[in-house]
Amino acid sequence: MDIVVKLIFDILAFSSIMVLVVGGLAVIASLMGIFNLAHGEFVLLGAYTVYLFREWGLPEWSGMLAAPFVVAAVGYIIELIVIRRLYTAPIIAMLATYAIGLIIREIVRGLIGGQYFAIDEPIVGSFEVIGLNFSIWRTVIIFVAITVMAACYLFLVRTSFGLQIRGSLENPALARASGVSTTRLYSFTFAFGAALAGLAGALMVPLFSLSADLGVRFLVQAFLSVMLGGIGSFEGPVLGSAILGAMVPGFQWLREIPYVVDFVSPVFAEVLVFVTALIIVKLRPQGLIRQGRS
Amino acid sequence: MAFIKKDKQPGDGMSRRSFLTGTSALAAAGWTAVAGGWVLRPNWAHAAGPIKMGIATDITGAIAPSGNANWQTAQFTVKQINDAGGILGRPIELLLEDTASDPGKAVSNVRRLIQKNNVDVVLGGITSAMREAIKNPIVRRGKTLYIYPQLYEGQECTPHLYCTGPTPAQQCAELLPYLIKQGYKRFAMPSANYRWPQLLNKWARKVIEANGAEVVFEEYYPLDQLEYSATVAKIMKEKVDHVFNTVIPPGLQAFTKQLYEAGYQDTGGTQSCVYYDENSVNYVAARELEGTYSCLDYYHTVDDAFSQKLVADYNKMFPNTKYLFTAGSASTGMYRGIKLYEQAVIKTNGNLDREAVSAAMDSASITNGPGGAARMVPGTGHAAMNMYVAQSKGGKWNIISKADMVAPDECG
Repeated sequence: MDIVVKLIFDILAFSSIMVLVVGGLAVIASLMGIFNLAHGEFVLLGAYTVYLFREWGLPEWSGMLAAPFVVAAVGYIIELIVIRRLYTAPIIAMLATYAIGLIIREIVRGLIGGQYFAIDEPIVGSFEVIGLNFSIWRTVIIFVAITVMAACYLFLVRTSFGLQIRGSLENPALARASGVSTTRLYSFTFAFGAALAGLAGALMVPLFSLSADLGVRFLVQAFLSVMLGGIGSFEGPVLGSAILGAMVPGFQWLREIPYVVDFVSPVFAEVLVFVTALIIVKLRPQGLIRQGRS
Repeated sequence: MAFIKKDKQPGDGMSRRSFLTGTSALAAAGWTAVAGGWVLRPNWAHAAGPIKMGIATDITGAIAPSGNANWQTAQFTVKQINDAGGILGRPIELLLEDTASDPGKAVSNVRRLIQKNNVDVVLGGITSAMREAIKNPIVRRGKTLYIYPQLYEGQECTPHLYCTGPTPAQQCAELLPYLIKQGYKRFAMPSANYRWPQLLNKWARKVIEANGAEVVFEEYYPLDQLEYSATVAKIMKEKVDHVFNTVIPPGLQAFTKQLYEAGYQDTGGTQSCVYYDENSVNYVAARELEGTYSCLDYYHTVDDAFSQKLVADYNKMFPNTKYLFTAGSASTGMYRGIKLYEQAVIKTNGNLDREAVSAAMDSASITNGPGGAARMVPGTGHAAMNMYVAQSKGGKWNIISKADMVAPDECG
């Protein structure tokens, strides 16, 4: 019983991290059709903002609050200078975001001297329930992930602004004809996706540590989540990331089963995540949630 | 040693930005850029010219924190020697090449040291992957003496290659029996999946079992694994009382955090990690580090006058440096390597011929260094040195015990 509760908590916690990371990627990929390979670096910038605030003697939580706005500003500028020119050429846009990511990553690497830095959680420690220890910060992340995703969903699906975003991405010509400024909306959407990435980076950095490669580590899994969930909707990739996020610790726990442990090494469990995800993608190439909205 | 080059990722290696940071730091420290590398000429001359010492280390890329500590240590040590009149009256000229944390790029840079600059000795390399890549260009084709300064997994027995950092035997011999004497009987060995943990664990397991304790599990994870809940659950369930940790960054931080959050330390669990040094508190939270044991050839808390002055002088030369003089970043091995080479050249009476210096190096010794004396064990290419068991308390490493002149137990 104990172990099941612990397993559920650990799966939820890691799923939430993946959901937060993928949220921003999903907004940009599904709504704008841009595969933002700099997404990992937006996550990194969020984490770096927290580090900067700490260096300035400010508490970690203030950096976490600021991170989405800082990264949104960076995203906005990047959209203005680069992405805007490339909406008609998605492949070139993808390569451009790769280059932007590289630049950001190496600048941060230079700034932190290539080192690793531990960053404290705003709320340290764990609480005890039925004799088990649960990390307070991971619990916070679970709640933040659920809240942020619900808010994003409501914003995109229930508000008229969200409708304008979806409309101008589905049929830009018609949206413009209806008096919607699509350029402004694209900039906003890109900045919004960047803000979500910044928030993800800021919240999760205490669980890992700040290094220039923090974002890269999540990028492949994030893209796999988008494929798993299906491009074209917001909820598809988010669902995909929740499932992928569950498989990462889940498959490691397989090793608790007698006999299974003999042939599943930790390295193999990691590989199994990708194999399973790819099998699902093969069986459901349109993703878990069908492309486009009704 | 501990940090292997991870799978090559786009953007690793020399970027323009980190390149700039590297060069500006070097220029500030007095180095001059020459074709591809940097040179630090002595401020006085000798009729026979300077002794040319090549440093090949990772100034940029993933291993840069250690690499930068290494060139700083080399500059520091050589300045001390030159200020004291050089080796038999001849000054040392330092030539530096960036190996960029990338064995592929390193080889041509290292070749330049040998073919173009005709250095008399090369010191450097941090990871074993780097050592493997540059040892042949230096020792075989380059016919030059090579000194490798980092703690590592052992089994490097190439002639004319001298290892001046600690080996698994040196790191395990004192630490593990001490831990078992403290009453820890059930060991877990979570490890990063590469050569250093594999070979170190082989040693550790032998020592643990010989001392009557048991290894509950020995597991290898991808280097950048992010999630360790299953491992931590097993540690808690199996009532492991000591975790002998060889997980490395970036996987390390996630592991130590999850172990801490599970209440492992609160329930009396202990851990050790033999590459932890004064830098560790930057990348592992202090409360997670508290009580952890380590075993190295030197800590800042080692209380002999020579070591204390050495670090004070280093800090005076590089005020506010991010790159501390520590054992884990191979600074101690670098210092030792240069000083042992000095002794070898004194013994050959200034003959810099590779065979002659190598023969002298084989049994060279120094009476003072970080952590104390060091002595090459003849015929092995490895050094006997003092080893310290230490425990992290409030961000400092408290020395628990000192073992004199521990044998490297390699290549015998």
